[in-house]
Amino acid sequence: MTIDVALFAYLSVYQPDGQGGRQSRPLEIAQGTTVAGVIAQLALPDAPRVVFVNGRHAADEYTLSAGDRLAIFPPVAGG
Amino acid sequence: MRELLRVNMTDLSVKLEAVPDTYGNYGGRAFTDAVIYHEVPADTDPLGPGNKLIFAPGTLGATNAPNGGRLSVGAKSPLTGGIKESNAGGQAALALARIGLAGLVIEGVPADPSTRYALVVEADRTGKLVRVDDWAGLGNYEVADKLAEMRPEGDKYASITLGPAGEAFAKAAGIAVTDPKGYPNRFAGRGGLGAVMGSKGVKGIVISYAGTNSLEHADKDAFVAASRRFSAALKEHAVSGTGLPMYGTNVLMNILSEAGGLPTRNFSAGSFESADAIGGETQRETILARGGGSNHGCQTGCVIQCSRYWMDKDGHYKTKGPEYETAWSFGADCGIKDLDEIAELDRACGDLGLDTMEMGATLAVYMDSGALEFGDAAGGLAALKAGLDPTSELRVLWEGAEATGIKYGVKNIPVVKHQALPAYDPRSVQGIGVTYATSTQGADHTAGYTITANILGVGGTVDPLKTEGQAELSKNLQIATAMLDSLGLCIFVAFPVLDIPDAFVAIHDMVQAHTGEEWDAAALMQLGREVLTMEVMYNRQAGFTAADDRLPAFFLEEKLPPHNVVFTVTDEELDSVFDFVEETAAEMGLQ
Repeated sequence: MTIDVALFAYLSVYQPDGQGGRQSRPLEIAQGTTVAGVIAQLALPDAPRVVFVNGRHAADEYTLSAGDRLAIFPPVAGG
Repeated sequence: MRELLRVNMTDLSVKLEAVPDTYGNYGGRAFTDAVIYHEVPADTDPLGPGNKLIFAPGTLGATNAPNGGRLSVGAKSPLTGGIKESNAGGQAALALARIGLAGLVIEGVPADPSTRYALVVEADRTGKLVRVDDWAGLGNYEVADKLAEMRPEGDKYASITLGPAGEAFAKAAGIAVTDPKGYPNRFAGRGGLGAVMGSKGVKGIVISYAGTNSLEHADKDAFVAASRRFSAALKEHAVSGTGLPMYGTNVLMNILSEAGGLPTRNFSAGSFESADAIGGETQRETILARGGGSNHGCQTGCVIQCSRYWMDKDGHYKTKGPEYETAWSFGADCGIKDLDEIAELDRACGDLGLDTMEMGATLAVYMDSGALEFGDAAGGLAALKAGLDPTSELRVLWEGAEATGIKYGVKNIPVVKHQALPAYDPRSVQGIGVTYATSTQGADHTAGYTITANILGVGGTVDPLKTEGQAELSKNLQIATAMLDSLGLCIFVAFPVLDIPDAFVAIHDMVQAHTGEEWDAAALMQLGREVLTMEVMYNRQAGFTAADDRLPAFFLEEKLPPHNVVFTVTDEELDSVFDFVEETAAEMGLQ
């Protein structure tokens, strides 16, 4: 199945096409893949992160559905 | 003995005085609050002779405490009608603390309102008022240059300047503070304190600290050890050590848009389709491509380094940042999707001396009236500059979002206590709604920055879309922030402090080693409660009631896309935030 993945800040270099940028890209994943599974598939560093699925916070064990938008940020803040 | 410099603009006297015992050992926000609470009657006209404008470094000012050089600026606010502490970076707190001043208090008003003065404070703590009537109408950058020309070669100094908006007594006028390079680009922006400075006829202040050194400590070895631990925590934490220095505060743009909490087109949506074009990553790439430096501190002693300069297309300095709140207010909230256009608006506000948050929110309200299209940056810039003509009907924009919305018949005006909401929608970030509603300062995200646990996963997690836990989260952060503001610490130290227990311990260890007084965790939180207690009681005396601690009705009635939610924290929960005030007031002997 296909989901949309967007990677932000210094994580954008981990997009499989190597093109960087924050715009989301389609990603083929197996049925039943979790957030943690995608992180492993993209070889993201094992470090704290903030993850949203369809605009809501999601934990590593969250199971993705076809068409989901997955957005991953490193720890950031401002204000 | 602690001392303050008292400047009277009615009789033009400048006097060095002992700090009254009633102000205790307070610094920063606690100090400015205490002066207002004890010396400025709550029914005082904010622009009259009874109001006082106070500048104070925190308790850790001019020590080597990392990020300990913030400046508190206080007065009764012309915008909110209540007590105000507006907090700024820049070098002025360092200068005041270095020369041994707990604060600078400006009171009275000149007999002739057309007179202008520069206040010159020398490193020996003498001060004089210099007539500068021909500076009337100058922008902040030119005032900073004029002050620089007054100083001898080799001097070290910091400046505080006022633009034309403050001279016009505009309720959106702020006060500028120079950064380490002398640019007047750090701001005590909120609450119209520029109008108070304007009413006093003070166009600029320069404080020399030539020949001075870092302050001595009661226990130097203990201080050095604690400050090293604190510095290590700031560098170790991913936010303060990596995210903020790399991208600056505007790294928030994409994450708030993703979370549906980015107020867009006058708070009518929670995501902006062009968020990435105006966000921190694009900002960094553009600045680097134009030959600018990606990060620096806004003041000496900063180890986080989240400041940056925006360079124009020719590689010349245009303005600071823009910071996230500015990029949001002129960007998403006005539907503007270009950082150069946002930087022009930021520069105009910086030079005129206007609060970028209030003005962005004001322009968005003006656009919502139909008078201007969302996204029209050139039209927005013209409307913003129109206020230079006192006869222009657009001068009302300088009075802020509420005055503008009323004049142009706009239904949804995002203000609390007359002050515009900042860059997080309270419907999809419920915790910050509690802070906006209850803060003594009017709608102010920094007063209790729940974005930490609501969005960023710092200091735990509290679901931003649910009601539960928001009031408690806001209360605890409001207390902690009042404490940090009083010590002079940048609130960005909160990110590591919330996650690394020893960073909090290091704070009271630094304060104890510096002052020689006993400090612990309980004392720090008590300081925060005392600050808020003075503020709540002052506001009550000024006429505020629980009805003022509420969000505008549209946040409770109109669903915000994409999550289609309204603000659901109850009035009872809002009223529980300051449940400690009576007890703390009794402990302080206040009535």
